[in-house]
Amino acid sequence: MDWIRILLSRCAALIHSRELDADLDEELLVHIELATEENRRRGMPEEEARTAALRSFGGVTQTRESYRMKRGLPFLEALARDGRYALRQLRKSPGFTVTAILTLAVGIGGMTAVFSVVEAVLLRPLPFKNSSQLVSLHEWIREDPHEFNVTAPDILIFQRESKAFSGEGGYISAGYDVTGAGAPFHAAAERMSASVFPVLGIDPLLGRTFTLEEDTNAAPVTVISYALWREGFQSDPGAVGKTIDLDRRPYTVIGVMPQSFEFPLDAGRLSHRDLWVPLSLTPVEKNSEGENYDYGLVARIRPGVSTAQAQFDIDRVITGIQPAYTMVANLHLKGYFRTLKEETVRKARPLLNVLLGAVSLILLIACVNIANLLLVRAAGRKREFGVRLALGAARRIVLRQLLTESLLLSAIGGVLGIALATVLVRAAAVALPDSLPRLDEIAIGWSLFAAALAFVAATGVLCGIVPAWAGMRTNVLDSLRDGGQAAGTGSARHKLQSILVTLEIALAMLLLVASGLLLRSFAKMLETDPGFQPQHVLTAALSLPRHDYPTQQRVDAFYTELQGKMELLPGVKSVGFSSNIPIVGQKGGRLITPEGHVRSASEGFLIASTYLVQGNYFQALKIPLIRGRVFEDRDEQAGAPLVAIISQSFAAKYFPGKDPIGAQMKIGTKFDSPMPAITVVGVVGDVKQAALDQPTVVQMYEPVSQAAAALGPMAAMLGVAGNMDVLIRTAGDPTLLAATLVKIVHQLDPLLVISNVNTMDEIVAATESSRRFNTAILSAFAGIALVLALLGVYGVLAYGVTQQTREIAIRMALGASRGVVLLRTLRYALIVATAGVAGGLIVSIGLTRFLSSLLYGVKPLDWVTIAGTVIVLFGCCALAGFWPARRAASIDPMQALRTE
Amino acid sequence: MGDGKPDVLQGTLDLMVLKTLESMGSLHGYAIARRIEQVSDHTVIMNQGTIYPALLRLQQRKWIKAAWGISETGRRAKFYSLSKLGRQKIETETENWERVATTMARFLAPSS
Repeated sequence: MDWIRILLSRCAALIHSRELDADLDEELLVHIELATEENRRRGMPEEEARTAALRSFGGVTQTRESYRMKRGLPFLEALARDGRYALRQLRKSPGFTVTAILTLAVGIGGMTAVFSVVEAVLLRPLPFKNSSQLVSLHEWIREDPHEFNVTAPDILIFQRESKAFSGEGGYISAGYDVTGAGAPFHAAAERMSASVFPVLGIDPLLGRTFTLEEDTNAAPVTVISYALWREGFQSDPGAVGKTIDLDRRPYTVIGVMPQSFEFPLDAGRLSHRDLWVPLSLTPVEKNSEGENYDYGLVARIRPGVSTAQAQFDIDRVITGIQPAYTMVANLHLKGYFRTLKEETVRKARPLLNVLLGAVSLILLIACVNIANLLLVRAAGRKREFGVRLALGAARRIVLRQLLTESLLLSAIGGVLGIALATVLVRAAAVALPDSLPRLDEIAIGWSLFAAALAFVAATGVLCGIVPAWAGMRTNVLDSLRDGGQAAGTGSARHKLQSILVTLEIALAMLLLVASGLLLRSFAKMLETDPGFQPQHVLTAALSLPRHDYPTQQRVDAFYTELQGKMELLPGVKSVGFSSNIPIVGQKGGRLITPEGHVRSASEGFLIASTYLVQGNYFQALKIPLIRGRVFEDRDEQAGAPLVAIISQSFAAKYFPGKDPIGAQMKIGTKFDSPMPAITVVGVVGDVKQAALDQPTVVQMYEPVSQAAAALGPMAAMLGVAGNMDVLIRTAGDPTLLAATLVKIVHQLDPLLVISNVNTMDEIVAATESSRRFNTAILSAFAGIALVLALLGVYGVLAYGVTQQTREIAIRMALGASRGVVLLRTLRYALIVATAGVAGGLIVSIGLTRFLSSLLYGVKPLDWVTIAGTVIVLFGCCALAGFWPARRAASIDPMQALRTE
Repeated sequence: MGDGKPDVLQGTLDLMVLKTLESMGSLHGYAIARRIEQVSDHTVIMNQGTIYPALLRLQQRKWIKAAWGISETGRRAKFYSLSKLGRQKIETETENWERVATTMARFLAPSS
């Protein structure tokens, strides 16, 4: 315990050190006086009494010194002394100090901001209890490369059969029109097994979550999100027990989840669920045979169960599922799992890793730059170090002094960097693309400060170590001789600077190549034809509640009426409806077998993206008809032959060299099945189902009125397709029509919620935003890196010219022309540029493949980009070298030699 | 941190200070130094100044406490006295010292 008391008292002493010094001085003075007095009383003369007193005391200064060493924390005091000295040194050269601090602020700030994002999205455990035990289960078929979630019946089978998990539950997203909680709106909801909440280990803020009975009996109960509770119920504690209408059916609110609760953790800002209802699988869902693999399955691994044991258990359960399937017989269903965290963050990882890598490079370049500037300064201070060493300063004291200076720089830069990082993090929460999950968790917190502190320390040491080492090795004799202009150490230092500048150029080149690749990808994406014309198209989403529109005929009649009324309006060209719209993302697909198609062993199943359409869909989006016809009224008659329209790539791939019009297809994995045949009546152009930089999938369209019939014996699976997107092509500005659309819909059904009213242009722009962000940010990083590298080239050259003024003057006096001097200086810039580009080329070739997941239409080794980068770098280096070169050439030899 | 294992000499001085304060009560630095010289009959040759780091060490451990007061000659001086903790510590420190002393004595005793 003693050491704690001593440490505390030493710390306290630091604060009052001046007071304590005065105390000690007085105490020692009293001591000497008391001793002198006693000696005098013993009869000594005044002078002698005092001398004797001092002698027996034995060294007032030593006593004071050893007292002080024990009193405070000498280490800290020395540090403060070094710090004060360093501050004085930095104040002497404000230009250098400001450049260095700003450079470091950008480096540390950027690094801290990106690290905060990476920490929140990738590193932090998921916000669930013991979240490392949570896993997400998936199924796949040995015959096909696609990865699925699971089917509804499999949820029940896993819950019943699996042994490796302490709990598991299924979920699938759903949407409901909500009334009774503020203004009516279309809620994003999740149907979820009662077991999911306990598996995640999160308790509700108010009320309770579902019981097993409620799940089994499809009880109309709902648990609402914190946001809905706050906005729909004004945070009323009495909200639990109230009734709200979901799709016009009353549900009782039984619980409110805490603010931090979000499940599932999908990417993007708008993915939050407003409410959760029991999964309560319908009889149709329970009896389905693997047509819908969109159900999620989350489970908690029992403590002590290994990954291999869990996989073994899944294999065992899956094997039991196989024989139950009749529809998709002879397929080999497989199962596997990954941690819920991996499931959540794996798609975000490539982008964040690239950002972290890029910003680390910036920080590294900043460090190298400052090391270089410090080297230049150290050269100017060689005499100072020489004197200090000559006067007996230990070499490590010089090292400590120089490191203190660089640490002080990085600390000041770090403070500014933290300020910058807080701004950047706040901006990131808004600007980061929706392709990232957990964006809400990005915040300014202790982790940010801890990270910044670590970066400050690392930066200080990194940029200080080389100059400090060089300073420590100062040769005392050389440095004191003739103004410290010894040739030997000077050229060694120059060599070191050249190496550092070369390194900077190489690192900047890597970033330039990366940003060049992304810029080319972005340009390629903008060139990509979406397959439809998004201009002048208004879209909105409608969902007709099942209870008021129980049959497909009722639904179709509603949309037909809406189309009729809208198309009468002036300025409306055509109106169509579809279960999906292009560009927003592919939502599942259908297994299709064309007649006569023989699948090769290596080929996967034909899974066609399927849109159920009605009205003038192709006209509204201007998707070109290539062969045959589009859907007509006759296709909507009861008992009409089943028809489909396929995309161009579908036709090319599955009907090569044949006319697909009139060909037959069936839903399923084989043509020889009880499913009804569907006839191809038209071929239309390919559209991009997801963003422009995503691959095009083979596409099929069916009239929504025939969708149930096409499923034959499994028609019940589809139920009623009441959720449709409306597409209206207008002559003028489509936004002007939004209010009219709402009015006409409400004429038909006053309670209907109209959501996602947007123009197609806005929707296309939104899908470009993620790539726009990647490209912009990496280009910004590359720009910063280039500026820093050029600053390095310029700094070394400018310093070199100053140092060699005399040499240049002599050359000129001996007849060297200004042109020769100019070229000689420029040559240096081009030599470091060449070395840097060579190094950059090697690292680029090695590293750009890590970018491949972010590229579109460009290979990681794109020689156009690399050649462009090389040209830019040479041009910029020549430019950075030109100013010092011109200064060298403009030296007046007579004047320069006279002043020497 | 700190002097976890004081060397014997340092410990000796600390114990001398403690014992002095125990017998004499509150004293200023000079009086402590003089008292140690007298008790040891001037066999302990020390610079009086060394008393001050020792006093600081004991204060940091909270074994003694200090307060400004007026000396017998009417001067302002700092007076030291034992703390409650110091009183307890004297016992253990004495034991420690005696153990060392006996051990040393055994080494120094003429082997017969």
